[in-house]
Amino acid sequence: MNHLLPLVIVTPLLGAALLVAAGRFVPRPAAEALACALAAATAALALHLLLHAPSPVIDWLGAWTPRNGHSVGIVLHADRLALGTAALVSLLVLAVLVYSWRYFDEPPRKHAGSFPALVLLFQAGMCGFVLTGDLFNAFVFFELMGVVAYALTGYRVEAAKAVQGGLTFGVVNSLGAYAMLMGVGLLYARTGELAMRHIGAALDARGAPDALVLAAFVLLLTGLLVKAAAVPFHFWLPDAHAVAPTPVCMLLSGVMVELGVYGTARIYWTIFSGPGGIPPETVAHTLLTFGVLSAAVGALMCWYQRHIKRLLAFSTVAHTGLFLIGLALLAPEATGGTALYLIGHAGVKAALFACAGILLDRYGSIDEYALHGRARELRLTAACFTAGGLALAGLPPFGTALGKAVTEEAAGPWLTALFVLVSAVTGGAVLRVAARVFGGHGTPPAAGEERETSGEGERPETEQQLTRVPATMLAVPGVLLVGALLAGVLPALHSAVGSAADEAAPGVTVALTPPHWSAPGILLGLLSAAVAAGLAVLAVRRPQHTRSRHWLDPLRLLHSGHIGDYVAWTLAGTTLLGALALTGLL
Amino acid sequence: MNRRQRLWVLLLGLAGVAALLVAAAFRLPTFGSDFHPYGDRAVHEALARHTANAIAAVNFDQRAFDTLGEESILFGAVLGTVVLLRQARDEHQVTPAPARVAAPVRRYALVLLPVTLVTGLYIVAHGQLTPGGGFQGGVVAATALHLLYIAVDYRALERIRPLGLFEVGDAVGEAAYLITGAAGLLAGTAYLTNALPLGTLDSLASGGTVPLLNAAIGMEVACAVVVLLARFLDQAVEIEEEGDRS
Repeated sequence: MNHLLPLVIVTPLLGAALLVAAGRFVPRPAAEALACALAAATAALALHLLLHAPSPVIDWLGAWTPRNGHSVGIVLHADRLALGTAALVSLLVLAVLVYSWRYFDEPPRKHAGSFPALVLLFQAGMCGFVLTGDLFNAFVFFELMGVVAYALTGYRVEAAKAVQGGLTFGVVNSLGAYAMLMGVGLLYARTGELAMRHIGAALDARGAPDALVLAAFVLLLTGLLVKAAAVPFHFWLPDAHAVAPTPVCMLLSGVMVELGVYGTARIYWTIFSGPGGIPPETVAHTLLTFGVLSAAVGALMCWYQRHIKRLLAFSTVAHTGLFLIGLALLAPEATGGTALYLIGHAGVKAALFACAGILLDRYGSIDEYALHGRARELRLTAACFTAGGLALAGLPPFGTALGKAVTEEAAGPWLTALFVLVSAVTGGAVLRVAARVFGGHGTPPAAGEERETSGEGERPETEQQLTRVPATMLAVPGVLLVGALLAGVLPALHSAVGSAADEAAPGVTVALTPPHWSAPGILLGLLSAAVAAGLAVLAVRRPQHTRSRHWLDPLRLLHSGHIGDYVAWTLAGTTLLGALALTGLL
Repeated sequence: MNRRQRLWVLLLGLAGVAALLVAAAFRLPTFGSDFHPYGDRAVHEALARHTANAIAAVNFDQRAFDTLGEESILFGAVLGTVVLLRQARDEHQVTPAPARVAAPVRRYALVLLPVTLVTGLYIVAHGQLTPGGGFQGGVVAATALHLLYIAVDYRALERIRPLGLFEVGDAVGEAAYLITGAAGLLAGTAYLTNALPLGTLDSLASGGTVPLLNAAIGMEVACAVVVLLARFLDQAVEIEEEGDRS
């Protein structure tokens, strides 16, 4: 059964090749049905291996099994965390393909299959990155998901800003990829190995870490944190999300960004957690710094957006910060909680983007002010959007709430306060949008000089402005929210996620209690949901006046859209990473 | 940020990264040392599999899955280019006017075309024996066709370059690699296992699946480069924005 593992990667690749070859001859529905079938088959295979194969599923490709502890080949090393993530990715890809059934005005002429083919390649890249146990192979799939994501982001070439957003995304992420490649090179030069476990063992055999190991750690982490959009590597993310087609945003925010966190965890656990790696305290305070910074900046920027997709994008930055904090605790309970949080977040965030897409296609605008009160008729969309906002804030019994509660329990009072605040502010921002756009509450703001990016003048992504919302576009956010809800209420899932996290993290020998609801957790979840609702009410009630100056202006102005700025910040981020890691070693 | 602030942040970042890289570089194995654990193992395994070109053995046998990923990156990049450089709503196509080509340039390019094409195919076919292989040979073969653009004009190139066919070829090359790999599964062993007869070292039919995978890559790369260049050339030569024409 282990030999079937590579098919999780190969199936979508083959699908993409088929769609490109046959895309000129078959009508669009056939191409999209084929893509859905293959994405579903991949998800089914990942779930089958997850449930029925003994963990971990290890497959040496080309049958290059190690001799005397060494191999020249590539290994896929899929524990349950990896297979579960691959299944999550595949299910979300399926949701996105269904959502985009009626999407996009003109598939490129004679290329009906090109959008679903790109999505399948994206899926293959993400699954490959998750399943591989080989460091260089991980880089290859990291690049595959990057290249496809840049193209998908710039998909709507009619708008200059779509191309600009795709370019920014490409430049910053390529910079991260170069850093990662240099990190791989340094470790290879030191150990002569590329399988992650073998690298880790070789480092440990050598003894205490030196400058080379430190540099490799910093460079690898730079690449992964760029993908994870941790502050100050995050600048590409809001720009890309503002212009990318909505289904692509669902994938970027729902899973791709989180794979940066996954990769960080995987690389630390497998390569650097031994005596030859980086000491745990160092890793903890490094990740904690980036996590707190991202959570704070993401939440603040999220609150002050009026472009709904940018708002959701900044909430992703904030939540990725929380995931990094969960990882930085280096406690098995927190890891299980973070994994659960991540699953819930994937469903919720993708659902929120799906709702935003409905607004865009129905009204040709994605601006909170311009849409004021206009979407009163979309009752179901309103319900989904509001539920998504509450789930984002951490209302029990959503999976986000449980994951957050379990992580908070391991985090201590100060970080708990941060978790509550950040989730309340991001959830509150979403609820504020819901109250204004769907409820028409508050006064419509007067036109004035604004420094924020407005979301007006956007083109719908469908053939014509929609007069009624297609069932598929509405069903997908509904199903995703139900998924996020189930993640919070199925004890079987909780124990599975918990034990998968225990298995993946090193040094966990005793079976721990799986993530479960506790009274303080439920109260904290209710508290952050209440704070979120309160913030939204306050914001809507407050009279709108356009101020020419705002205390947040300096931070806002950093998000300039200037690629040169972003490159400078990326390099500065690497320096910060290096400085933090160095202080721990000295 | 203004120029000055950007420069300061950039300098700070560059200084940190430079310090990091320099510190790491001093800890690298010294140049010319005999510490090559992977190289030694890879060459040993390459010879055991009757593949004279050890690089090809690494790329298409030992780490063939990496090559699959890289091939897919190229495939995705070309597909992305096709999508991004499509004719947008506000653009229209014009027929390019032929330009005069100097006679020596024309003669030289026409003579070189078949030579380049054969060279490309040779490099693909001998990937398991000598430096080169599918990636390199594919690029050379694709370049050959474009000599016609230099020798004659764009319309001549378009006539011998049915883009639809090359797009299908690109996908078939990708699929051929994937399916060759799956043959290992059918034989009951791991994906991408080199299960074919290994042949005689240093002959064309050696290396098992290495020449097959090389051919698949050669096909994919040649077609991909043709499609890629076609998209850029179309954009430069044939597609104009509304109102461009005066």
